[in-house]
Amino acid sequence: MTVRSSLRAGLSVGLIAILMVLIGITQLSGQLVRGWFGLPSATPGAWLILLLMAGWAGSRAYKQAKATSWGAALAAGAVPGAAAGLLLGALMWGIGSLLANGTDLRQWLAQLSPANVELLTLGLPPLASALVILAALTAAGAAGAALSFASERGQWGAAWAARRQGLGAKVTSVPAIEKFLARPNARQIVLIAGLALLLLLPLGVGQYWNYIIGTIGIYVILGLGLNIIVGMAGLLNLGYGAFFAIGAYTVAILTAPEPHNIGMSYWLALPIAVVVAAIAGILLGIPVLRMRGDYLAIVTLGFAEIIRILLRSDVMTGFTGGPRGIRSVGGPELLGIDLNNETFFTYFILVGIVLAAFVIYRLQNSRVGRAWMAIREDEDVAEAMGVNILTYKLLALAIGVGFAGFGGAIFAKYTAVMKPIGTPITMAPAVPYMLVKMKGRIP
Amino acid sequence: MASDAQVPAKRFINLERLVRPALAVLVAAFVLWRLWDVVMVQKAYGGDTWVRFAISGLILGGVYAVIALGYTLVYGILFMINFAHGDVMMLGAFAGYFTLEAFKSTGVLDASLFSGILAVVAAFAVGMGSASLIAVNLERIAYRPLRTAPRLVPLISAIGASLVLQNAAQLMFGAARHTYANPAILDRNAGWQVMISGKPVLVSYTGVLTFVMSILLMVGLYVLVQRTKIGKAMRAVAEDKQAAALMGIDVNRVISSTFVISGALAGAAGVMWGLHMGIIYHYVGFLPGIKAFTAAVLGGIGNIPGAMLGGIALGVMEALGPAVLGLPFQLKDVLAFSILVLVLIFRPTGLLGEVLARKKA
Repeated sequence: MTVRSSLRAGLSVGLIAILMVLIGITQLSGQLVRGWFGLPSATPGAWLILLLMAGWAGSRAYKQAKATSWGAALAAGAVPGAAAGLLLGALMWGIGSLLANGTDLRQWLAQLSPANVELLTLGLPPLASALVILAALTAAGAAGAALSFASERGQWGAAWAARRQGLGAKVTSVPAIEKFLARPNARQIVLIAGLALLLLLPLGVGQYWNYIIGTIGIYVILGLGLNIIVGMAGLLNLGYGAFFAIGAYTVAILTAPEPHNIGMSYWLALPIAVVVAAIAGILLGIPVLRMRGDYLAIVTLGFAEIIRILLRSDVMTGFTGGPRGIRSVGGPELLGIDLNNETFFTYFILVGIVLAAFVIYRLQNSRVGRAWMAIREDEDVAEAMGVNILTYKLLALAIGVGFAGFGGAIFAKYTAVMKPIGTPITMAPAVPYMLVKMKGRIP
Repeated sequence: MASDAQVPAKRFINLERLVRPALAVLVAAFVLWRLWDVVMVQKAYGGDTWVRFAISGLILGGVYAVIALGYTLVYGILFMINFAHGDVMMLGAFAGYFTLEAFKSTGVLDASLFSGILAVVAAFAVGMGSASLIAVNLERIAYRPLRTAPRLVPLISAIGASLVLQNAAQLMFGAARHTYANPAILDRNAGWQVMISGKPVLVSYTGVLTFVMSILLMVGLYVLVQRTKIGKAMRAVAEDKQAAALMGIDVNRVISSTFVISGALAGAAGVMWGLHMGIIYHYVGFLPGIKAFTAAVLGGIGNIPGAMLGGIALGVMEALGPAVLGLPFQLKDVLAFSILVLVLIFRPTGLLGEVLARKKA
């Protein structure tokens, strides 16, 4: 039984290794390792990741087998290593012989350039390189098992923990730090110092990093808005990026000289963008919010696709500039001062984040927030308790996509050119989804 | 407090009662006006063109229906939208592509009529097999650990799986478009000529193959679900997992076999797509996937005949729609999604209704 399960583990490690070779992770790791340690070639790094995986499989197999002697541990580790090596070796044998025949594999599998294959074959003939891989992975599996066997014998884990504790004690035993930590408000001081550093950061780091910080900030705003919809009210909205685009396009249309020459002030266009996005959300929400979660997901996804296709097609060229997009979006100015620089925008976005966080914080513990959470937990019970589900769902959707519109409005000037392809409609939903994990909490 | 919450609710429902018929009248009026305009006033297309549209719609609809069956099967049992289904189809298409390439590079592809047929059969077998394998493993890795989690969680996991598959495919196969190597007997430009109102209309062999194959798959699946033991077990699990488990059905095995079947259908759809459309790339599964889901909803999700009907209906509507409505053909995807939204507004249970009881899973 244990032999079978370790064989299975070895085969799946082998499959993952093959996938890694085909995707190009081995090559990537090779280049990274070469860069870090200044090695002459990428070969060690490429092998390192494969050997580590085989070693891991060996160590796991050893733990399952509960071997008690050196021989048994080595044998238990060698089995999955050999299985993985067999698979990968067979692959390299095939690839090597195809390459030796002069076939260009890159027309089918993009990562398999001769140079990349050479990283693994070491320039040996196909069969020899396959045998080398088999031997190496078997050895790595055995080594992994041996390592965990030795560590269990010598109780390395405990020793390591003890040393780490000692190190921590050493740091805190420096008198100044000790004295500082003893103060009752030490935490607040560190926090405020950190915040102050963060606030001053945009002034000193230059254009490029300000752009990065600003982009992160826009994502934070989007994430906060999506958190209302998905996290608090439990509505899965996959078309969030569409509202982002609506906000961005509203600002662009209202402020840019082309195609309409409205030339509105940025400060006026910003709230309009938020309102337009919210109205779009309500219009979409009325028919579909009574459906169950997955229907809502697919309708919003469809809606995002509709918006994206419409923006990219020629149909709306007169209105949104079509595939060409809108250029020279107007920017904000205050009392005659032009505020179109990255530093200002970083602060602007920071203010936006604080504002959004404040609104959400206030909402969370209000009657509205509690109603949303009730809907999220159980719709029927919430309805029975007198919560008007449709209204509150619409409210969540409107507020949430309003934030998307806000983010889009900032983004519009931030990039200064609104292009349908540049609009991260497809990208925007993916990133805030990482935030969904923090269900219902303000990140 | 109760009356407080009641008043706005009532007003809202009244508004809604007004909105739906008004919207229905508007949509119907728009469609009729465009139809009259295009057919009677402009006389934009001759009879042959209409037939061409209808044929391409039927073929496309067949592919959508086969993909939609996979969605509907999984939804019927797990109440979960398998977002990665379209990407499983893409990988199936690539598996078939490599099979045909292997035949081509050994020179057997066009050696004889028999070897050509063999190549196509092998492409279908490899495509369906590898897509099944991928689907089963996907379920093991991404969905099974989350089976008891709240409903949104596996859905998000499915979206993640879809992104992983897409990007892995892009890295592996490159971002370039790959052209399917059809054998000479299945040349994409070859077919029967049919005369419609004095003009020839081409009915391509690949189109016929695609349509016949999709009908065969649909009938096969229907028989499998209705007549065999595993089909019975699947229906039982769809009805009630716990009761099925108490009756001695291995629920995990049934769910795995559901994914085997849905993966095989996706793989077949991928190979059909490749043979008929000719071009595949790493993103090829996304749009057909979403449209097939639309088709499944259109027919009533969880309902197998509904998915077939919905798929073919969606394909025909997508092919005829822009012409009927006089819209630019760029917007045919918009049309498909508008149909989805309209169906959900007017008939959320789909054309054939939801066979399964509405339950909160």
